[in-house]
Amino acid sequence: MLVLEDVVVDRGGVRVLDHVSASFAPGRCTAVAGPSGAGKSTLLRLLDRLEEPTSGRVLLHGRPLPSYDVLAVRRRVGLVQQSPVLLGETVLEDLRVAGSLTPEEAVGLLGRAGLIGLSLDRRTDSLSGGEAQRLCLARALAVGPEVLLLDEPTSALDAVAAMAVERVVRALVADGLSAVLVSHDLRQARRLADDAVILEGGRVVEAGPAPAVAYLAGAS
Amino acid sequence: MSPAVPSWLGVATSVVLVGMCLAVVVREQLGLSREVVIASVRAVVQLAAVGALLGVLFRHAGLPGSLLWVTGMVLVGGRVAGHRGAGLPRAYLVATVALTAGVVATLGLLLVARVVQVEPRVVVPVGGMVVSAATRGTSVVLLRLREEAVSARRFVEARLALGLPGSEAFAPHRRQALRMALVTDIDAVRTVGLISLPGAMTGLLLAGVEPLTAIRYQVVVMYMLLGAVAVSGAVAARLTTGLLFDDAERLVVLPEAGRRAAAIR
Repeated sequence: MLVLEDVVVDRGGVRVLDHVSASFAPGRCTAVAGPSGAGKSTLLRLLDRLEEPTSGRVLLHGRPLPSYDVLAVRRRVGLVQQSPVLLGETVLEDLRVAGSLTPEEAVGLLGRAGLIGLSLDRRTDSLSGGEAQRLCLARALAVGPEVLLLDEPTSALDAVAAMAVERVVRALVADGLSAVLVSHDLRQARRLADDAVILEGGRVVEAGPAPAVAYLAGAS
Repeated sequence: MSPAVPSWLGVATSVVLVGMCLAVVVREQLGLSREVVIASVRAVVQLAAVGALLGVLFRHAGLPGSLLWVTGMVLVGGRVAGHRGAGLPRAYLVATVALTAGVVATLGLLLVARVVQVEPRVVVPVGGMVVSAATRGTSVVLLRLREEAVSARRFVEARLALGLPGSEAFAPHRRQALRMALVTDIDAVRTVGLISLPGAMTGLLLAGVEPLTAIRYQVVVMYMLLGAVAVSGAVAARLTTGLLFDDAERLVVLPEAGRRAAAIR
């Protein structure tokens, strides 16, 4: 369970998050939606300690994040960025960035990310956008996280590739993983999310089970 | 006077060569006449001053004075290389420590092992070569690290997000910076004698030393420069990497990148 308690983030004289409180329940997918510049990505980075709140607290299982070893936190909370960031020359090399893996384990991760049949020797620069993003998902899964942070994971992809990524996220959440999905695509948020937190101008304007959130219902 | 050294009349005659340069500049309308004259006069004044100073140093200051001179060169080199890394945390201090490490490791070893003579006439020019090479290498490393810390932020954060410590998350970028610094000197070592005769060897040849004797000195100098660039560059890269991450293993935002980071919402 990840919880934000009255979190404020000021950066360069600008208030990016303004007394935000929200919780992200285990085993559920929570969408963080809102217009551009609402503070969605900053919220996600707080959960991975890539940013620190100016005031307020971020709690993991009831304990403030700084009370954990930061590297351990990041292994429990996997991050997938907006556009694919590939770190190895081959698929296997990319999956092994965080530590050693047997080829069998690597194939298993690819399967969980919907990349069955992808060769471990394939060069990463030859992957399509959708394959690359799912490889990033597989790599995030390699460290065994309990929560996945997804920062607009399909915004750089075409519709077919985006649907493939969505299928993977849905399957992972069904397997018991928690997900926090930042998205400005309201239809996607409605398709994937169990819960939703709506940000506007750095403030939470709506939160609750996704079907009950009016902001998402507005999506045609 | 060595027969290889021109007389003052010869030096005066060489002013004709500056005239050649001026003729080209004027004929091609490059607008550089003033710069050529100033640079030429300035070179004479600077060299005369350094020559006089070195004369005093060699005669009266002895080895301590020479080492002090080398220390001064390290401090100046630290300013120059630190300037290249402006924006990186404690760039001037890092550059100065890196140069000191490179000079102590290479010149120190050669002096202690008596590979080169422990006397001012040797320590000052050889020290100058080491400091110059180490400054160049450290400058390249710091410049490159600064670029990487800004432009490769997504890659570094992707590694951090996998639970890697900052030193490991930045390692590919640190290696790239060091590689860039070393490539120039490795190429210089590889092509030495084929493209041009290097400075130390040229100097000895002009002074009448046998070519096969002169190369011994040059080999030592080349290896020394390679070592100095490697040690200084590695120290600069390691120290800077350590300073680029805060206690929570986050890549610090460099001043130039601050405004762009503020735009990430």
